[in-house]
Amino acid sequence: MPATKKKAVKSKANQFDLSEETMLGLYTNLLKTRLLDERFRKLYRQGRFAGTYFSAVGQEATTVGPCYGLRDEDIIAPSHREIGASVTKGVPLDKIAGQIYARESSPDKGKSHPCHYGWKSKGVITPASTLAGQTVVGTGCAMGFKIQKKDNVVLAFFGEGSTSRGGWHEALNYAGIHKLSVVYICQNNLWAESVPSTLQAGIKNFSDRAKAYGFPGVTIDGNNVFTVHKTASEAIARARQGKGPTLIECLTYRWYGHSEIDPADYRSEVELEKWKKKDPVKVAEKILMDLNLLTTTKREALVEQLNQEIDAAISSVDKDKYAEPEEAYTDVYSEQFPVRRVDW
Amino acid sequence: MKKTTYIEAISQALDEEMARDERVFLIGEDIGVYGGVFKATKGLLDKYGAERVIDAPISEVYIAGGSVGAALVGLRPVPEIQFADFITPSMDQIIQQMAKMRYRTGGQWTCPMTMRVCCGADVGGGLYHSQTNEQWFFSQPGLIVVMPATAYDAKGLLKSAIRGDDPVIYFEHKRLYRWIKEELPEEDFTVPIGKASLRREGNDVTLVSYGLMYHRSMEAAQALEKDGVSVEVIDMRTLLPWDREMIFESVKKTSKVVLVQESPKTGGVMAEVAAAISEEVFDYLDAPVARVCGLDVPVVPFAPPMEHYFLPNAEKISKAVKNIMEY
Repeated sequence: MPATKKKAVKSKANQFDLSEETMLGLYTNLLKTRLLDERFRKLYRQGRFAGTYFSAVGQEATTVGPCYGLRDEDIIAPSHREIGASVTKGVPLDKIAGQIYARESSPDKGKSHPCHYGWKSKGVITPASTLAGQTVVGTGCAMGFKIQKKDNVVLAFFGEGSTSRGGWHEALNYAGIHKLSVVYICQNNLWAESVPSTLQAGIKNFSDRAKAYGFPGVTIDGNNVFTVHKTASEAIARARQGKGPTLIECLTYRWYGHSEIDPADYRSEVELEKWKKKDPVKVAEKILMDLNLLTTTKREALVEQLNQEIDAAISSVDKDKYAEPEEAYTDVYSEQFPVRRVDW
Repeated sequence: MKKTTYIEAISQALDEEMARDERVFLIGEDIGVYGGVFKATKGLLDKYGAERVIDAPISEVYIAGGSVGAALVGLRPVPEIQFADFITPSMDQIIQQMAKMRYRTGGQWTCPMTMRVCCGADVGGGLYHSQTNEQWFFSQPGLIVVMPATAYDAKGLLKSAIRGDDPVIYFEHKRLYRWIKEELPEEDFTVPIGKASLRREGNDVTLVSYGLMYHRSMEAAQALEKDGVSVEVIDMRTLLPWDREMIFESVKKTSKVVLVQESPKTGGVMAEVAAAISEEVFDYLDAPVARVCGLDVPVVPFAPPMEHYFLPNAEKISKAVKNIMEY
């Protein structure tokens, strides 16, 4: 989905200088991510898939905004709350649902873990649970692009808590030295599982960390998808031109627990309610309605259409079976080195 | 014909593979301008430029994980860990990303890269410049682990590693760098990964080892011959996946086996080899499997008498052989 700027909406309220197509495209992906995420939560509570589920509800704008308009060859180095990145990058919904269900048709054949979305043809790297691990790997992808003289970019996603890890700093330090084409998206949702951001760092703005590595860092409203898209697009353009990385700190909030098994009782109702008032979907709707780009009727039609897409994806994976258990022996090495099998 | 040292063989392999395949690049500490602390990469910066011979900051997490990323987008990284002792910060990236990438992505993303790791004692390197820690990686399926003992294998295994599609930890033993030399073929050659080498045929007992310990085993075999003991010597070369067939066949023939490794005994490579021998060819054994290993202490101590006390040598190996011969 290319971000066109042909018809920038001229209006007082539109300080974003984005085309109608881009604004509606962003909103559609935002809404699709929200509906899919809430559906997965429901399905988890119904016991339809195993393990747990990591909802990103509340922070969708931080993934949809940067990923909208990327090329297939651009790389996403996600963590576990980047469903919006996969949706926006164009990973088929049945592949996203398949990953959650861990079925045979899942891109990982059921080997990884719910919410570890990965789909190579859209450049999404299946993540590991070791936080900031993908920040290092993603930075390496950008190093690769530099060696190959390609102008592809990498978007590396992580929470504010991950910025405490040593590897995170090594990666940003390296990217700064070599002006790599990587944009670091920090989703500061105030809580790293149960630990508040005040116990992660002695600085207030996590974007300040960029100063130490010689590239720009900005802190923005992470619940406004248009702001996020605009800021990220500028950073992506800089990166493509070989001008180096940017660290974008998106202030946001996750509505639910770290995963579905976390009651999130470490934080206050007041705090939650305050952030729910800044719901990124509602924020986008208000802006679009003020610009006469969206009506309640249009919204309802879109919800229905997206729900149909989601229904189709879920029903296809729901019928799918698990891979044979012996599949556990595959994908260890290339075909040159088959794993020795044990007869039980 | 000129003899090539073990480290020259490594340099040649790097040079030839970089010339052969533009996807191959090097990254590591002091490998560029300085040419590597042991000079393995000498001259390569001038020949291939700073984008393919990268002087890394002191960032072992990045050297490992950045290489993983570059491999994902189609390159063939050959990162260097200057000393095996310094590999610990990289462990997160090696174990969680490099080894598991193919598996966790269902084969979508693969990680063809070769991490060169300089290891080993018997050079007076002291506490943090002498370790062999191949056992940490040996217990991680998804990785290939090799440790050549000869110049021929150093070159041929490195080439196979770089050309292959799997992540390889390539241990090079610093004691062998300038001590071991041989004439190498002019033409291009590789050494297959996963195949051990039967270096010496014998009938009475099998010695299995790798790296520096292969040479100590060979010294022991030669000494034992004078005492009338016919020793078969196998150099494992590849540790993961190791050549079970060759070792089992030899045990079937000699019925006695001594396993030699430089690393501490407990949980080492030879613990697995011993267990597998007892599982698979127990009926052929005429004596318990014996092991000669580094001491079960945290690390190789510095003072020369202590370092030598730590390490297996020909004398200790011969003694172990004589013990099981008398069983």
